[in-house]
Amino acid sequence: MKKIKFFQTLIIGLLLTSFIGCTKKTTSNESVLNLAVSAEVKGMDPIYSNDRYSSNEVARVYEGLLEYHYLKRPYTLKPNLAEAMPTVSADGLTYTFKIKKGVMFHDDAAFPSGKGRELVAEDFVYSIKRLADPKLQGLGFWLLEGKVVGLDEWRKKYSELPKTDYSESVAGLQALDKYTLQFKLKKSFPQFLYSLAMPFTFAVAKEVVEKYGKEFLNHPVGTGPFVLPVFTQSNKITYTKNPNFREKKYPCEGDANLKAAGFMADCGKLLPLVDKLIVNIIVQSQPRWLNFQKGKVEYISVPKDNFDTAIPDAKNLDPKFVEKGVRLSVSPSLDVTYTAFNHDKKLFNNTKLRQAMSLAYNVDESNKLFYNNTAMPAQSVVPPGIAGFIPNYKNPYRGNGKAEQIEQAKKLLAEAGYPNGEGLPEITYDCPSSTTSRQTGEYFKKQMAQIGVKIKVITNPWPELQKKITNRNVDLYGIAWGADYPDAENFLQLLYGPNRSPGANGSGYDNPEFNKLFASSAVMQDSPERTALYEKMYRIAAEEIPWIYGVHRQSYTIVNGWLKNYMSTDFEAGQASYLRVDLEAKKKLMEKF
Amino acid sequence: MMKNDAPKKSKSLWQHAFSELTRDKMAMTCLSIVVFYAAIAILSTLGFVGGDWAKEVGPSYAPPSSEFIFGLDIFGRSVFDKMIKGTEVAMSIGLVTAIISMIIGVALGATAGYFGGKVDEFIVWFYTTFTSIPYIMLLVAITFILGKGLVAIYLALGLTSWVNLCRLIRGEVIRHKDREYVHAAAAIGGGDFRKLFKHILPNVLHIVIINFSLQFQTAIKSEVILSFLGLGVQGRPSWGTMIDDAKLELARGVWWQLAAATLAMWIVVLALNILGDALRDALDPKLKGK
Repeated sequence: MKKIKFFQTLIIGLLLTSFIGCTKKTTSNESVLNLAVSAEVKGMDPIYSNDRYSSNEVARVYEGLLEYHYLKRPYTLKPNLAEAMPTVSADGLTYTFKIKKGVMFHDDAAFPSGKGRELVAEDFVYSIKRLADPKLQGLGFWLLEGKVVGLDEWRKKYSELPKTDYSESVAGLQALDKYTLQFKLKKSFPQFLYSLAMPFTFAVAKEVVEKYGKEFLNHPVGTGPFVLPVFTQSNKITYTKNPNFREKKYPCEGDANLKAAGFMADCGKLLPLVDKLIVNIIVQSQPRWLNFQKGKVEYISVPKDNFDTAIPDAKNLDPKFVEKGVRLSVSPSLDVTYTAFNHDKKLFNNTKLRQAMSLAYNVDESNKLFYNNTAMPAQSVVPPGIAGFIPNYKNPYRGNGKAEQIEQAKKLLAEAGYPNGEGLPEITYDCPSSTTSRQTGEYFKKQMAQIGVKIKVITNPWPELQKKITNRNVDLYGIAWGADYPDAENFLQLLYGPNRSPGANGSGYDNPEFNKLFASSAVMQDSPERTALYEKMYRIAAEEIPWIYGVHRQSYTIVNGWLKNYMSTDFEAGQASYLRVDLEAKKKLMEKF
Repeated sequence: MMKNDAPKKSKSLWQHAFSELTRDKMAMTCLSIVVFYAAIAILSTLGFVGGDWAKEVGPSYAPPSSEFIFGLDIFGRSVFDKMIKGTEVAMSIGLVTAIISMIIGVALGATAGYFGGKVDEFIVWFYTTFTSIPYIMLLVAITFILGKGLVAIYLALGLTSWVNLCRLIRGEVIRHKDREYVHAAAAIGGGDFRKLFKHILPNVLHIVIINFSLQFQTAIKSEVILSFLGLGVQGRPSWGTMIDDAKLELARGVWWQLAAATLAMWIVVLALNILGDALRDALDPKLKGK
């Protein structure tokens, strides 16, 4: 008996090893892209993709009318499923899209005979109605709220009825024929086109939604470059190349710099450039870092506490990485960190108090402590890289820890009515409960102590903090904002009075002059006049100190030598299809790992 | 010639225990460690030591040296001073929590055990239900009412840790209440109150003392865990927040904050544990005369 068992084990063992041998052979010929992401993915339904991680996954399978040009900076929109950029009526309210012919959905059992059918204009009408469907409670309706003719009314009507009827037409959202789609807007909304590049508005097929019902979240069927038959919550998502993907080519327009940097080598090649895409979900930064060092993922952003090891002089990669062919990609992020005042509290309706506190806050030191001196101190609300940012502008109330600034801060505090902080109550500072956030809070407390302002740091779990902000139960709070689309409007709206909480303006700042400027700029198309208005608001937001500004961060990404065409971006949707794995180079470089 | 010694007085349980304890060198060492910690905590509360913890004394993350014995933290503050200040938090939480849990545990346990019947059923039902609330949830609930801080931690830990003691005391009181000495006390006219507090309680007090010492160190550990989770002490150093800081700093080779906090905690928890065991040995009547 024992002998037989041993024999069985031996055979099984031999079989297993031979299988392993087989898989190894095939993988070396198949190009596989291994990515690491740092948070769980909620699911694969476009209308629920309101965080960066879910929307990136959605965009591997689904596509929208427009996308950002892969190589152009500043970010430029280009047609994706649309044949061309839309024709816009003279009043700027009617947008007419022609959509590409012959675009096929992935094969799926939901379609007759299991073959994917052609995408038509009606699919977009359906998908956008789905986003507005009150029964589904999609998380992205804010994007189009109050903008498309008839859509809000449609939503309102069905929020009171038991079942949503998609066949009832909406005046502002029409398929004129099989390939023509028309939007009618209520008022001018220049950022409208950006919303069509966001995964919320990507095209889904009615048949698939109806077949899978609630399970649709786990059955993504789109038109995109990658196929994922079933999504399961696990720490690995494996996509395969869409065999019926339309002829979409790697872009050829690019200047000499891009050419020199090797971005033009794949010009004109059919996308996607890899056969398989594996997304590894690794939440903790240290395992992510170790996986990168083993060559198991193609690129990661450098964790804060490994920064000194990887980039000792804050500019160049450590030689031991360079030897392995790793390169560093640095790019500014479209974001801003800040400490907001709760403007509902009478105490903070005192500009001089706010200015004094801002002056006492040494931003350079915080940059050093928390961002390894890689971030850029923010002068106002708009980050560099988009119109509305003023390059050499210096905020007069931006503190850098100079002695005369502390003196000035003390003077302002006295003028505000609180000499040496006398008469001020203890002010609370709320922040998330992560270690770094708490340390940021402690730093803030220390800075304010210099001029006699007493701060109490309170750490909160993330949902609790959001609730406190929405309920206005805070004095000060530390937070950050990242761009939804590359337009200063997305940042300036954070200070627009009517947007107050539960809208995006959590601080409740309300300045009539600023509001007036914002309201008039919001309906203007991109133009020098609009930029002038943006700059005006930028200056007001700087000098009035509605928030104490922190920094604009930079992303430091390290990329393995065999990954080609990687370019940092704030809008990662669709990026994976442009990336290529150079198998020859990988083989060679892996020997050094 | 025989000496005319005074008649030898028989020792009481407590005198026995005391002499036993003083003979145990290990226990005495541990006791002096605990007293030392307590002294540091008192001195720090009064502001004699550790008051300068918030002061920046050197560069960020300076390693341990002769100048900075345990190195400096992210803001250039002395890790040694933070450790001292953390002692104050740890000892006060240990003490207050143990007192709260002792008072509730003894009162409820004695009442349930002595009166029995419906009272007993109710108290047993109450503590079984109560222990099903995880203390972290209770802490979150309490912080909603009181705001975050030391008081919330005292209450949350104190209110969730009395059940074990309550069970023990209840069992002991049930055992004792039908003993002859209690009947004797009843016979000479002692009421319930007198029987319970004057006669029974002193006979179960050793359990309370042992439990107190063990509860003390559990509370210290719990505080560290809570602060590590960001639910604990706010705006002042504690061993838990120091370890929380260290979890990220370790990647850049900064180990001293972790070392200082862990060392400080380890010594006092170990001392309290050994002391607890020694107290059990000294006080448990069953181990007498071995």
